[in-house]
Amino acid sequence: MCDSFSLRAMAEIDDQAWRKPERLHARPLWITLIAAGCLGLAVLFVIVMLALETPEVDGAGLAALSWSELIAAGVTGFLVALLVVALILRAQIVSPLRRLAAEARFVAEARSEHALSARAHPWLAPLPAALGRLGAALAQERDQGATAIAAATVRLEEQKRRLETILRDLSEGVLICTLDHRVLLYNQAALGLLHVAGELGLGRSLFNLIAREPVLHALERMLHAGPAPGDRSDVCALVCATADATRLLLGRLSLTREESGRATGYVLTIADATREVAELEARDRLLRQLGDGLRRPIANLHAAAETLAAFPEMEAARRTEFDGVIQRESAALVAGLEAFDRGARDLEGGHWPLADVLSLDVFRILAKRSADAGGPEITPVGLPRWLHVDSHSLVIALQRLSERIAIQAGARAVDIEAVAGEHATYLDFVWAGEPIGAAILDRWLGEALTGALGAATLGDVLQRHGSTIWSRATAPRRAVLRMPVSAAREASTSATPAPALPPRPEFYDFALLGAAMENADAALQAMTFVVFDTETTGLKPSEGDEIVSIGAVRVVNGRILTGETFSRLVNPGRAIPAGSIRFHGITDAMVADAPPASIALPQLRSFCEGAVLVAHNAAFDLTFLKMKEHESGVRFDMPVLDTLLISLFLHPDLGDHDLDAIAARVGVQITGRHTALGDAMATAAVFVRLLVLLQQRGITTLEGLMNASRMALDLRARARQF
Amino acid sequence: MPASVLVVDDEPNIVLSLEFLMRQAGFDVRTARDGDAALAAIAQRPPDLVLLDLMIPGRDGYEICQAIRSDPACARTRIVMLTARSREVEREKGLALGADDYITKPFSTRDLVERVRQLLAARDG
Repeated sequence: MCDSFSLRAMAEIDDQAWRKPERLHARPLWITLIAAGCLGLAVLFVIVMLALETPEVDGAGLAALSWSELIAAGVTGFLVALLVVALILRAQIVSPLRRLAAEARFVAEARSEHALSARAHPWLAPLPAALGRLGAALAQERDQGATAIAAATVRLEEQKRRLETILRDLSEGVLICTLDHRVLLYNQAALGLLHVAGELGLGRSLFNLIAREPVLHALERMLHAGPAPGDRSDVCALVCATADATRLLLGRLSLTREESGRATGYVLTIADATREVAELEARDRLLRQLGDGLRRPIANLHAAAETLAAFPEMEAARRTEFDGVIQRESAALVAGLEAFDRGARDLEGGHWPLADVLSLDVFRILAKRSADAGGPEITPVGLPRWLHVDSHSLVIALQRLSERIAIQAGARAVDIEAVAGEHATYLDFVWAGEPIGAAILDRWLGEALTGALGAATLGDVLQRHGSTIWSRATAPRRAVLRMPVSAAREASTSATPAPALPPRPEFYDFALLGAAMENADAALQAMTFVVFDTETTGLKPSEGDEIVSIGAVRVVNGRILTGETFSRLVNPGRAIPAGSIRFHGITDAMVADAPPASIALPQLRSFCEGAVLVAHNAAFDLTFLKMKEHESGVRFDMPVLDTLLISLFLHPDLGDHDLDAIAARVGVQITGRHTALGDAMATAAVFVRLLVLLQQRGITTLEGLMNASRMALDLRARARQF
Repeated sequence: MPASVLVVDDEPNIVLSLEFLMRQAGFDVRTARDGDAALAAIAQRPPDLVLLDLMIPGRDGYEICQAIRSDPACARTRIVMLTARSREVEREKGLALGADDYITKPFSTRDLVERVRQLLAARDG
């Protein structure tokens, strides 16, 4: 590309830098020619002078020149002509050529297109054009090359990122080492498996971390394996251990080779075998014990029984002895069997891979599949629980069950809930209608099931989960089908417990409770509630604290509709103090893109349409909502219930009325607190239970509950005076 | 009138012991080898207590249990499941379906007789 800068540069360096090399080489030639020319001129001048200085030879002046003088004149004339030609050449051809050469060199080295100046003799005419095309072609090649390199680099970067992701996410540890056992590369899982805190230290010896013998042995096998190259196996499995011998590892080792086939290093992948090995050993031990433990009692029993049969006329006293043996040895057999049972229970049962999954996720997939297949309408209710299941085959099984229930019981809508129990978590299908008999359930279990890996029937899937099903009535015209499954072993994703912060101040405000009640007589059980909770920047609504998160869930007919929730982060329009971040984990970055209260509150309002609000220490949350009334343009004027006041009413003498304490009292198991939605769900679970207790106390209408709340408020206010 | 006990089990070896024990305890004993025979016996005269094995031919033991529980004539009948099925979920299922007790084999004969006596006494008392 031609630009003024490059042209100017060309002009500046034209007669200087580029010329210098030529000048050095060309100098002797030109000087010679010029010197020869000058000499010729001088000789000619001398001859002419000499000729003019011999006047006596008239007329025959010129003819009287001797041959030598003529030759000298001719030579000098020739030299002069040579000089003239040389000068012409220089001007017309050599200089332009030099300029072209310099420009060509400039184009080659400056890496830019450049129009070559064409001040040349017509003889040289094709040259600038040709050089110009050459320059253009060169520039084009360069561009294409650059583009190709850029594209290839992008692809490489992407591949590199993918490989990094793979390495990072592998559950197996990966280590790449040189042949002299120095670590070149490793992944996160390797760090974990090898008990390394911090960095591994590239270039360190592998044997600081892993016992040497197994690796050396495996390497030896691979490096010297087989007579022909084709025989060399590429991967070698080995059993190794961490250097401190605390953990057993299963490994696979493969050599890295260069093109010629020479080994340059190796890749070692490791996985923790400790648990699997321990389990296998425990199983072996159990089976051995069973065999050994039962052998003797059986032998004794058998001998005694055979002897008694062979000698029917045995005397009574002797017979009694044998009876004693039979008695004792059969007791020993019972004991042996019980010990085996205990041992088998302790072993982690089942080898089908199960994983932790949230019940709500399973139920949502189930509801969608059922809807798509024209099956019954499935509504998830209740708190979400963590399950330890094979979610794929479980969903298929649950779908089959829901279809069969719908047909058998004539139910178009079925609720599904995960209920936490002592030994297991129960998946309950609930519907309006009659329970299903055991015989029918048995038949269902034997039916073929499609789509579940490795399971031919519904019964197989249940077997895989160590489960079974049964059905009974829970109330007139209300039935349940229950399937126990394992609960997840560890509390999944439990955040580090937040530091104990001062509890929210108890706010009481009659005005908030006295909202318009059109349906004061309506039965509480049949009403629609929205249970909500907010997370805020602090505890002082009147001093500038704002909402940062809202969570709400609908409760209809005493069921918590886990599928119908409202959850929003709210931009508070101010910085969130560190103390409050520790409590709810919501940072300024998280709310940066969130809507402000003026947008979020109207959304909450429409979620609450037609429902009665419920919250724990409701006045606190409501104060925040009220303060935004003007800004957001919505009023929360529906009746509000407070689980705190309900608890005060029901158990006035028991000290603790925070949510956790009430939950423990009424038997609700809560996980996952300190998010707005989590707290709303927990409050909903408590509320549903409290409604039952209220019913036992004879309070079944909204009006009744409001009055009870007021009573509780009075008592509390009075108590605080003391 | 002595209380009547129905023993439902298909294994003659255990029926031998159970029948003898219950007779010695003073109860009137009938036996049934399969599901249909059990239901027939119940229909003929509702027993005061049923010792019910779960793995019997014909009908599932749970089915018999549900049949008894849904029969108004058997409102006072006690059901004791006596079974080799020892898993916790099976026990829960049995109790949920209306069994009064769930005893796994092998069992102590003395404990069994004691338990039967308790259940019958509670019923009458």
